[in-house]
Amino acid sequence: MKPDAGILFRRRLINRIMTGAFTFAVLVSLTVLAAILIKLIGSGGNIFHLSIFFKSTPAPGSAGGLFNAIVGSVMLIAVAIIFAVPVGILAGTFLAEYGKNSRFGQVVRFCNDIMLSAPSIIIGLFIYAVVVVPSGHFSGWAGALALCLIALPVIVRTTEDMLRLVPDTLREAAVAVGCPYWRMIVSIGWRSARPGIITGILLALARISGETAPLLFTALNNQFTTFSMNRPIASLPIVIFQFAMSPYRDWQQLAWAGALLITLTVLGLSVFARHILFVRSRHGNRS
Amino acid sequence: MEQTITGTMLAKDTVDVSAQTETRNRKSGRIAAGTRLEPGFKVIAASAAFLLVASMVAIFILLSHEALPVFRKFGLSFITGSSWNPVLDKYGALPAIAGTLITSVLAVLIGAPLALGVALFLNELCPFWLRPILSTTIELLAAVPSIIYGMWGLFVLVPLMSQVVQPALIDLLGPLPVIGFLFEGPPFGIGMFTASLILSVMVLPFIASVSLQAFATVPVALREAAYGTGASVWEVCRRIILPYTKNGIIGAIMLGLGRALGETMAVTFVIGNAHRLKASIFAPGTTISATLANEFTEATGAMYMHSLLALGLILFVITFIVLMITRIFLHSINRNLPL
Amino acid sequence: METVLEDLDIKVSVKELKFFYRDTLALNNISMDFPDRRVTALIGPSGCGKSTLLRVFNRMYDLYTGQRAEGQVMVDGENILNPSIEVSALRAKIGMVFQRPTPFPMSIYENIAFPVRLYRKLSRHDMDDLVEQSLRKAALWKEVKDKTHRSGLSLSGGQQQRLCIARTIAIEPEIVLLDEPASALDPISMGQIDELIDELRKEYCVILITHNLQQAARVSDFTGFLYLGDLVEFDATNTIFTAPGQKQTEDYVSGRFG
Repeated sequence: MKPDAGILFRRRLINRIMTGAFTFAVLVSLTVLAAILIKLIGSGGNIFHLSIFFKSTPAPGSAGGLFNAIVGSVMLIAVAIIFAVPVGILAGTFLAEYGKNSRFGQVVRFCNDIMLSAPSIIIGLFIYAVVVVPSGHFSGWAGALALCLIALPVIVRTTEDMLRLVPDTLREAAVAVGCPYWRMIVSIGWRSARPGIITGILLALARISGETAPLLFTALNNQFTTFSMNRPIASLPIVIFQFAMSPYRDWQQLAWAGALLITLTVLGLSVFARHILFVRSRHGNRS
Repeated sequence: MEQTITGTMLAKDTVDVSAQTETRNRKSGRIAAGTRLEPGFKVIAASAAFLLVASMVAIFILLSHEALPVFRKFGLSFITGSSWNPVLDKYGALPAIAGTLITSVLAVLIGAPLALGVALFLNELCPFWLRPILSTTIELLAAVPSIIYGMWGLFVLVPLMSQVVQPALIDLLGPLPVIGFLFEGPPFGIGMFTASLILSVMVLPFIASVSLQAFATVPVALREAAYGTGASVWEVCRRIILPYTKNGIIGAIMLGLGRALGETMAVTFVIGNAHRLKASIFAPGTTISATLANEFTEATGAMYMHSLLALGLILFVITFIVLMITRIFLHSINRNLPL
Repeated sequence: METVLEDLDIKVSVKELKFFYRDTLALNNISMDFPDRRVTALIGPSGCGKSTLLRVFNRMYDLYTGQRAEGQVMVDGENILNPSIEVSALRAKIGMVFQRPTPFPMSIYENIAFPVRLYRKLSRHDMDDLVEQSLRKAALWKEVKDKTHRSGLSLSGGQQQRLCIARTIAIEPEIVLLDEPASALDPISMGQIDELIDELRKEYCVILITHNLQQAARVSDFTGFLYLGDLVEFDATNTIFTAPGQKQTEDYVSGRFG
């Protein structure tokens, strides 16, 4: 069919406009990301020197650092991950190996989805009612538990997904020589899926490193450095929140420095995690 | 005596016998070591899985329990009342609920078209070598913690809004007849609109990545057949790709909505925290999560606490419903909701 | 019917075509002519390059980076491999039917109207006529005339494939490319497709890929046998199947490999 010239012109024009719109959308996204990173580096970078890591949060007007906040965050995250990893891997293993078609498996998967996407402040609320109120005080344990509940569904999901990717032929080969099912899971399933599972753990880590809301009414905050999980404990996100919303210039600066620190950590973990998976899936695991 | 023992055959009354037999068989190499541990492992794994269910149920029960006194006292007027007054101990959640819904819907209205544009760009226009770089960059947008968005919003976007964007929009759209009332008021900078803008950037990468997954389900032959008719990129996207992936796209948008509903920190910084229901989107307002973040630690008095927890319940229910709907739509591309 | 190549109008002339998937050579110096108003079949074992060759004709490989062609493919005096030619206009001349039926996610009517609207503005009445005509030519009209508003996906596999053929001929192409159009269908539909190919021969230059040697023998006028990217032999179908010149060809058509 011979194309009509008028139609062709109109079609080309519309195509140019719309594909231009797509490009515009990409540019907007990149611009916002760049704007955020630039502001972070600009405002947080100039006081980003070593002393920040070693001095505790100051009263307004005096010099200080973020030491207690960093220590607190590390402790909270460490405890959260220590509990979330075994439970998460076991639950994810259950879903992939025993719960593929069972009713119970479906229910678990559903609950995991809900927990995965539930607002993190609700988790904080829950832990407040269940841990803080009965114990009578805010504590690092409460905060860690809240973070654990947020990290858990991420680990469950990635563990299940990665285990599902392990080919059935591999499992059958193991069982055929008489290997008990659980042993096959541990030696073959977990081992094959290891890079993916580690990625999941790193992604969970990245996620909870930046979470503020669940700590608001669980770990609360602490002006001083403490290594006790039994008391309120400082954390980087909470300190940033407090300082950023304050009217004090030097507090705001520290907030930006903390924000830069968190962002670098989270982005670094995320890129690292996805890169492991990408590289491994390209080269390794040729089963 | 030959005996093949499997993990599931270990009943209580054969334990002793099978223990002997197993030892004998294991020593002669007939069954693998650890077979007896099979049921134990399964139980442990199942318990871990059960913890998940228990947590979710516990949250629901707890919030309902705490919210009950509020509904007993105020009834439905808790949801419809628009006066949130801790001093008088009278609570109406309408501004918070409305704020949550309005900011989230606006965020999706702004963010979804952008996200689809990004996804379609990556799928149809992006040069091969650029695609992994670009898609990683978009994912970085999702990885930035919400408190960072909040700070950036407060210190960068808000001044921009109050000095440049809002005055312009107020002058331009305020005088219009039917919709003008949406754009009135002093250009505070903070408010519902700014919060929606921040939220739209936050949901963009989620909608984009799920949409990309949906686009990947388009059969190669169908795409080639579409281009084979001589259709342009936009025509293929509009008439073939988007209709084919309709369910996935809707699911992606619902997922974005779910994220926006639950977002706390980014919103708290820029929404203005005013329990007031104003028509203008430039007015300060509040959302459920912002209310919780701001007021929970200051809350004194039992009814205050219960009201806040009731707000939490409402938010949980709303996100729950949205997640259910999302699952239905995403069923075709993915059994589960994406991370 | 003329079966001597020299006496026929040549629609597509391939001259020393090389095709690359990145660094891998997939088509090695192919030269062959495809006559107008005849059916030329491309046969050969899997992976020999038949589909690759077909997809050069409508520049389908443009969609993918790393795929490129060298040489000449002359259609109506123009080398279509030239990056400066208008690909959309080329595709207006060439229709392609795939192995799996590819109905667009629209109504049956729209499946046919959509490509037509890319090139012509027709009144409602004229479009209705064209849709009906195309469906008749594809032997589908009787089965769908009461439900052209229904989705194309609601049809059976064989009907969907005939819809794709109707869609292809609605834009009045000059060349029709068929990539194993019946392999995903049941035997009855397969027979219907064969009859359609016979009809298509009357108006178009038809290039057909098939794994089904009986179909090639039955339906085509000329046959080219490809093996591992080389054109081993090209001749009248009768000759290829009864007295092939190359041993490889003979082995393939007699089923000794492939």
